[in-house]
Amino acid sequence: MIPALPLVTSMFGSSVVSQPLPPAQPAASIAGAPSEFGHVFSQVGEAIDTLKAGESAAISGLQGQTSVQNVVESVMSAERSLQTVVAIRDKVVSAYQTISQMAI
Amino acid sequence: MNDPIDSVIKIAGSGLESQSTRLRIVAENLANAQSTGTTPGSNPYARKTVTFESELDQALGVDLVKVKTIGIDKSPFRVEHDPGNPAADSNGIVKFPNVDLLMEMADLREANRSYEANLQVIKQANSLNSMTLDLLRTSS
Repeated sequence: MIPALPLVTSMFGSSVVSQPLPPAQPAASIAGAPSEFGHVFSQVGEAIDTLKAGESAAISGLQGQTSVQNVVESVMSAERSLQTVVAIRDKVVSAYQTISQMAI
Repeated sequence: MNDPIDSVIKIAGSGLESQSTRLRIVAENLANAQSTGTTPGSNPYARKTVTFESELDQALGVDLVKVKTIGIDKSPFRVEHDPGNPAADSNGIVKFPNVDLLMEMADLREANRSYEANLQVIKQANSLNSMTLDLLRTSS
């Protein structure tokens, strides 16, 4: 029983302590996806473009310059982008809080 | 890779636009069902037809639908003997548009059904999308 502890430390020691782990990059392998929380928020540019497209479609729809189908399609697309961004943001924030409240 | 649900909504949106164009053509035909020519013996309004074709969307890699041509129905005009009409020729014959109300009503109903089908596709795609996003919300 007692020799088990040094055995465990030697098992981990060889892989963890003596050689520092390379920075974990599980997400980076997926087509350059960000690996930090902060990066998630810098990726919302495309979603904002969709929102802007929805807005301008709505305005030109009010002016009668585009079909109502087009307006509905753009606005719905913007809504879906916003919902996706908000859902991911909530998830990221809650993950961040989980980590920051972790007992050390 | 694009989101398939985004593509679905775009495709169904192109269906909506095409069917509303078709509806517009039906409206034109119905409204002009009695439009004769202005000068004696001249041709009246000719019934319009609409055809569709698929159009590849390069960005999404999907086939949308669009109106190919708005053509003219070449079937013969309906003729009536009405010498008092300004459009009557020397024999008193007036040419009326080749619009068949029954055919237009059938076309109207078909456009309506097709439009509803595309709307239903959009509704389904939207609800699937929000259900999927709800997974992210409620699992925490």
